[in-house]
Amino acid sequence: MKTSLLALAAVATTLAGPALADKLDDIIAAGTLRCAVVLDFPPMGSRDANNNPQGFDVDYCNDLAKSLGVTAEVVETTFPERIPALMSGSVDVAVASTSDTLERAKTVGFSIPYYAFENAVVSREGLDMANWEGMKGKTVGATAGTYEAIWLEGKVKEWGAGEFRPYQNQADVFLALSQGQLDATVSTVEVAEANVKSGNFKGIKIVDKAPMVPDYVALITLREEYGLINYMNLFINQQVRTGRYAELYKKWVGEGEPANLTIQGVYR
Amino acid sequence: MFDTALNANDLIFLAKGAGMTLVVTAISVFFGTVLGIVFGVFRYQVGPWWAAPLTFVLDVFRSIPLLIQLVLANAFVTTVLGIRISGFTVACGVLSLYTAAYCAEIVRGGIESVPLTLRRAARSLGLSWRQDMTNIVMPLATRVALPSWIGLALGVMKDSALVYIVQVVELLKSTQILITRLQEPLFLLMVCGAFYFLISFPIARFGGYLEKRWSHD
Repeated sequence: MKTSLLALAAVATTLAGPALADKLDDIIAAGTLRCAVVLDFPPMGSRDANNNPQGFDVDYCNDLAKSLGVTAEVVETTFPERIPALMSGSVDVAVASTSDTLERAKTVGFSIPYYAFENAVVSREGLDMANWEGMKGKTVGATAGTYEAIWLEGKVKEWGAGEFRPYQNQADVFLALSQGQLDATVSTVEVAEANVKSGNFKGIKIVDKAPMVPDYVALITLREEYGLINYMNLFINQQVRTGRYAELYKKWVGEGEPANLTIQGVYR
Repeated sequence: MFDTALNANDLIFLAKGAGMTLVVTAISVFFGTVLGIVFGVFRYQVGPWWAAPLTFVLDVFRSIPLLIQLVLANAFVTTVLGIRISGFTVACGVLSLYTAAYCAEIVRGGIESVPLTLRRAARSLGLSWRQDMTNIVMPLATRVALPSWIGLALGVMKDSALVYIVQVVELLKSTQILITRLQEPLFLLMVCGAFYFLISFPIARFGGYLEKRWSHD
């Protein structure tokens, strides 16, 4: 009886043993945080002239590692490889601009959004346009088939004034805009900022943000790692609270207000 | 075409990648060959029946694509065993076993090529098994096996391009990183090919030299 009880206790401890340490403990014990980052997606992730990783996501990973008191290890992944890399255990978290879809939430665990891709209205310089509603009655265009093109075409129809022109690609849209064939366009803030900054398209300016639902992106880890998800949620909150979020936005995206990460009228 | 954004820094980056390819290849070929000789001799010595389990394991390494072996080995070590080891270690381990599987066959073929009558003559002269193996079989078998072994070493060097999957930045991965940044795929792939040629050609020539030298004495 005594031996069987002892054996039972031994079995119980071996079974319970590994379950006690969760991923958060493992990361701190290992001293490294392995982040999956997509490095062909500027300004979120790219490589500098010395081929070292850089970008918003890279800095975000470094901040997360710093807060945990460990060193960051950036693991380059492609968009389709992000979740497989997590599941196969080759990374701890993915800081990879992952949209928080319900479909993905069946597989992986999401934190609260850490960034949101918003859309901006870009117009010709010298055009009297105070906000996005100034597009009413103007000639507007966007890359055919994209989310913003569909939204813009719908708005033109709704207003019953002005004209919508579809283009083959983003560069054509900005070229048409700078040549005066278009009055305004809508693109993601990141693309708009990059194009204005590049100087390849003369005489264009960012007017306003378009009132479209932003593409919220979150950090991901394994679905059952509540300890880590909880930590990441608080970390994102602190990033915004301390102004680091705005600082990184200014560093990688441009001047202006970073997207609001809360949604009116609902928790989380 | 010659108007490129590639600078000296990037060439150093590529050279580092080529260095990594060489290191991974050297380690894998070394351990692969040592293991391959042990497995090959064992297989020849104990006969097909007793060597069947080993033959089966080696066949597994030979028939499953290297890419899958790397991913599975990495996942097994990091998640199932829960050991944090570098991708480099996993890459060298898997590639060594992969090389050993091929090398065992080359070694076995080499030993089988030595005429049995010659070996019987050696044993009847009073040589021990050990003396027979080192003084009769080894010199003859090495000559037969060398060309295939050089081919294997060159093959492993090119197969080592797959270790990028366990986060080892070797030559091909460095090239891909540069392609993403500079957007000049054809030019960069040519440069990468030139690097592979630069490190493979001396090995191929060295093999040719040894073959020639050994065929005359």
